Amino acid sequence: MSGVATTEPMLEATGVRKVYRTGALEVEALRGVDLRIHAGELVCVMGPSGNGKTTLLNCLSGLDSIDAGTVLVDGEDIHTMDDARRTEHRARRMGFIFQSFNLIPVFTALENVELPLLVTGVPAAEARERAAAMLARVGLSQRLKNRPTELSGGEQQRVAIARALVSEPAIVWADEPTGNLDSETAAAVLDLLREVHDAGQTLVVVTHDPTIGRSGQRLVQVRDGRVTADGAPRDILGGLPDGNGHDPAAGGRRGPRPRRTRPLRAR
Amino acid sequence: MVVLAVLLGLLLLPVVVDAVRHGELRRLAIRNINRRRGEAVLVVAGSMLGTAIITSAFVVGDTLGASIRDTARTTLGPADVSVQTLDVGQLAELAARLADPPVAGTDGVLPLVIARAPVATPADAAGERRAEPHGVLVEVDFEAARRLGSDPAITGFAGAGPTPTGDEAVLTAALADHLQLGVGDTVEVYAYGTERAFRVRDVIESVGVAGFGGGGGRGVFGAAQAGARSVLVPPGTLAALRATPSGAPGPAGSAAPPTGFVLVSVEGGVYESAGRIDTVLPEVERRLQGVAGVQVTPVKQDLLEQADAVGRQFTELFSTVGGFSVIAGVLLLVNIFVMLAEERKVELGMLRAVGMKRGRLVRGFGMEGAAYATAAAVAGALVGIGVGRVIVYVTEGLFSRGDLGIDVTFRFAAEPASILTGLAIGLVISLVTVWATSLRISRLNVIAAIRDLPDPPGVSHRTRSLALGAAGVVAGGLLFAAGLAGARAGALAGLPIAAFSAIPLLARLLPRRLAVNVLCAVALVWPIAVFSVLPGVMDGADIALFVVQGVLLVAAAVTLVTVNDEAFGQLAERLSVAGRGLSMRLGLAYPLARRFRTALLLGMYALVIFTLTFMAVFSRLFAEQAPRFTEEVRAGHHLLVESNPGNPVSTEALLEQPEVEAVAPILRAFPHFTAHYQPEPMPWAVTGIDERLLAHGVPVLASRVPEYATDEEAFRAVLADPGLAVVSEFFLQRGGGPPIDRLRSGQTFTMINPASGEARELTVVGVLSADWMFTGPMVGAGGLVDLLGPQAVPTRHYVRLAAGVEPDEAGVALTGRFLANGADARSFETIIRSNLSQQEGFIGLMEGFLGLGLLIGIAGLGVVMVRAVRERRRQIGMLRAMGFPARTVRGAFLLEATFIALQGILIGVTLGLVTSYQLLANSSTFGDSDLGFLVPWAGLAVLLAVPLGASLLAAAWPAGQASRIRPAVALRIAE
Ligand SMILES: Nc1ncnc2c1ncn2[C@@H]1O[C@H](COP(=O)(O)OP(=O)(O)OP(=O)(O)O)[C@@H](O)[C@H]1O
Ligand SMILES: [Mg+2]
Repeated sequence: MSGVATTEPMLEATGVRKVYRTGALEVEALRGVDLRIHAGELVCVMGPSGNGKTTLLNCLSGLDSIDAGTVLVDGEDIHTMDDARRTEHRARRMGFIFQSFNLIPVFTALENVELPLLVTGVPAAEARERAAAMLARVGLSQRLKNRPTELSGGEQQRVAIARALVSEPAIVWADEPTGNLDSETAAAVLDLLREVHDAGQTLVVVTHDPTIGRSGQRLVQVRDGRVTADGAPRDILGGLPDGNGHDPAAGGRRGPRPRRTRPLRAR
Repeated sequence: MVVLAVLLGLLLLPVVVDAVRHGELRRLAIRNINRRRGEAVLVVAGSMLGTAIITSAFVVGDTLGASIRDTARTTLGPADVSVQTLDVGQLAELAARLADPPVAGTDGVLPLVIARAPVATPADAAGERRAEPHGVLVEVDFEAARRLGSDPAITGFAGAGPTPTGDEAVLTAALADHLQLGVGDTVEVYAYGTERAFRVRDVIESVGVAGFGGGGGRGVFGAAQAGARSVLVPPGTLAALRATPSGAPGPAGSAAPPTGFVLVSVEGGVYESAGRIDTVLPEVERRLQGVAGVQVTPVKQDLLEQADAVGRQFTELFSTVGGFSVIAGVLLLVNIFVMLAEERKVELGMLRAVGMKRGRLVRGFGMEGAAYATAAAVAGALVGIGVGRVIVYVTEGLFSRGDLGIDVTFRFAAEPASILTGLAIGLVISLVTVWATSLRISRLNVIAAIRDLPDPPGVSHRTRSLALGAAGVVAGGLLFAAGLAGARAGALAGLPIAAFSAIPLLARLLPRRLAVNVLCAVALVWPIAVFSVLPGVMDGADIALFVVQGVLLVAAAVTLVTVNDEAFGQLAERLSVAGRGLSMRLGLAYPLARRFRTALLLGMYALVIFTLTFMAVFSRLFAEQAPRFTEEVRAGHHLLVESNPGNPVSTEALLEQPEVEAVAPILRAFPHFTAHYQPEPMPWAVTGIDERLLAHGVPVLASRVPEYATDEEAFRAVLADPGLAVVSEFFLQRGGGPPIDRLRSGQTFTMINPASGEARELTVVGVLSADWMFTGPMVGAGGLVDLLGPQAVPTRHYVRLAAGVEPDEAGVALTGRFLANGADARSFETIIRSNLSQQEGFIGLMEGFLGLGLLIGIAGLGVVMVRAVRERRRQIGMLRAMGFPARTVRGAFLLEATFIALQGILIGVTLGLVTSYQLLANSSTFGDSDLGFLVPWAGLAVLLAVPLGASLLAAAWPAGQASRIRPAVALRIAE
């Protein structure tokens, strides 16, 4: 582990269990996950498809409820909060970036980025200023007035990143942020994320891309709903080119990825 | 009907063929519907209302038609032709001429004598009596009556026994029920100044000849009446009554003499004979040649024609008023389809990209739409029957309230043909909408669709819209030219159509926003201004024209508002600083971004609210103007006393009453009239006045010929010259609504004595704005008697009361005191109020009917909101992830609904107020009189609150759904 671990963790998850129930079918997506994240870390989460990465992100960030365990953020258990408080907690402490950019299509880039500020009660004028500054930081100062449909995929993701960062959250969660982008654009987005991290932002990135995984300081591998490895990327990925244990030549990184939904335990 | 069937076939054929031949299209459609059952139900519920409205209009027409048709059974039976004479002594000869030998095609003649007389029960222990002021005395040979036609069962006399003799009489059930009399009781009749009592020997059903009362009651809708309230008296009774000193035939202008009738039956039953009357009529007339004062009327045929006409009229009235709602329904369908298409834009774009032919795309879409349309049409037709029933129920109540002149027992009728027609019309409208929308959708730009961009205006697109625009401008111009030449619709719609069409043209020269603003302003101002600018053309506008006006105004206003909606956006931005700002910002952003969709919703609300506002204005107008209308008609008098023509109240007797200060007798008759817009002689009331009416004031004229300086001078001229008359704007009008065509000061019309055929041309010197008392033309009494002789009877008196007497109390007292004259004394204000309340009732009924249209708008909003929640699931998930509270999400949806509903309502209310103000205050469309204008605040409050509340309610469920969306789940949804 890296030397940051000496301080108190910003997020501490212990024994987190998550079970999805659809009718009679139960899927145990997380089976007792323990994880600590320290301020300023860049954590990459990798693992085969359908093994619980997104679930982990949702449960740790407070987007979804859990069935057992605790998630402490700055010492506060976010799963004992009611929905309203957890929502507010998200607004103040969490930022999100998704594979599909999830911008609000009826708002301009600027208006999209303003939203997280407005929801926490930042005055409109200040919100506008900060949003514009954040968009300038991600290189979009020329596109403030454009709606998402008028932006390229890379530009949209940069707006989404700006939106996730603008309220200066404690942790930014990114679920396959480059999944919808071509390699060049993806690289640019990654550079941006790295820059953000260098500026001190805590980041958790779920990814299939071993180059991303390799480039981070810490890699968490998730298999079958458990954290199977946690440490320096080099130690975990070793010489293998693909952190997911697949041969990239067989599928190709950008090719259609078969979504293997393997119920871990079906009753 | 054939056209409809062919159209339906053409529209449905491709669907059926595809469903059979292309399994994949069928499966696609079925899967799409199945996937969203709840929504499919909403779509069907919303789009069925158009069909329901059309069908209900038919059902109402059917019921009125059938109810009036039924009076052929209850008042005529076998009788088809009536021969009428005031010279009762002629009767035997007339009957002989027609029966001996029988006219080919007829199977019997029946002479009878009828007199009008009040009928009452003797005073009971408490001194109370029950009276029927409009009773009828009939002398007829029962044996002969049973022989009229081939079926005694339809004559009404089958079980009536022998002709009454001595002091016995037979009552029709209508009378016996009203007076609560049974066999053995005593009944008193009053005629020609004397009275006579009879013992009731039998009570027979008021059907067939037994229900015949000689006709006579007339009103706006004609002469349909239920079976007569008759006393069948022994032959000779009437002659004996007249032989008493007071009963002797007085001078012309006193009690109406008994009328002799010969009823002729044409072969066939009650209804089968009607078609053959035309072949019999010439021979009947030939046989009667040379006999003076005989009036031959094809009574059965007239009645059945009237039944059809009234039925049609009501169907038309309700379907045109319902037109607003039907158009709203079309907008809803378009909206639903555009949403469907938008939702599947990407999917459709992909299908196109992988080479699915455009035609296939259209058909796949069309099939789904056709399924909705068919289900909606069937459901709509069924609901329409129910709605029709409700309207019939309310209408029946309204008819009993005023003096409309229809006194029939309602028989609910819904002809299968009518229901099918309603269904077919609804289906055709839906299918045309579906196909047109599908076609539009299939013209997708593939790239734009895949990237979810708005369609870029391509070069070919632009040339096409320019060409279409130019064509529209030319067409609008031509329409307008036709309008200047007198075509009302052209005058109204020509300019706005040209203006709308000119948008793409002008947008090349000016900034688009400016071009739209300028042209929409034209389209908005013209349909209101035209009534003042071209009064000559627009006079007599009917309801259909108001529908066109409403559509034009709403189209222009909605376009104007949606184009300038950015202002709202900025307002919202400013508001977003405030507390609930975020909800507001979200709530407004979507409708502002989806302009077309929003415009359709606004249109739905605005159209219906526009009409409702219009009606609210009229409702208020009528409600508050009773005192004014009263002042206009009463000419300084307080009471109108009506009495039975067989025993009218005498002027002297009235003058002797302590409450009475002055009396003006009024002669009444029902001759025939023709006018330039009514070439066929039409029966209508006429009123003969003398100088006594003018002694204390003058009825107020809305306009008069310039020769006379005052209304009084005009009336004095009428008294002096039998060739002059005053008429009302409603003279010779059929049905309700504003007068379609009318007589103006200086024009002429003809009054005809129906018995002698003698005619007189009359010149209009003044026009009354309304005809609350159903006076008909007012002419000098002397001249009237000259033309009509004993047909003119003083059945009315205008009574001026002594100072301090309360009119309504005096009315009750006089009615009771002159019971033997069948008197009905009511204050002018009471009469006007009861007629106004009937009018208001009709307006209320129409408002309720249009309320259905509001349901369409609200259902439309509901559908849009439900779909919006689904469309935006991911976005809502993202917002929730970002920390938007659930209540902000819910608030945004509610605000969105409020924003749309409120805007639509405000557009509608504003247009409605401006238009009605313009029509009432500045144009002569509703007659020459100034009706005044009042803002119906209470009505407007309801119009604002109810639709807004209902819209919020409709949005509450989807808004709740939206607020419960769980971010982790929503964000997983694949795009
Ligand atoms: N709402 C749900 N209901 C039932 N099962 C679910 C639900 N969401 C996820 N799962 C199951 O939980 C398991 C973990 O899913 P998760 O999305 O966390 O995997 P993942 O590692 O993110 O996969 P990928 O790399 O493909 O995104 C999977 O087996 C999935 O099928
Ligand atoms: Mg995932």
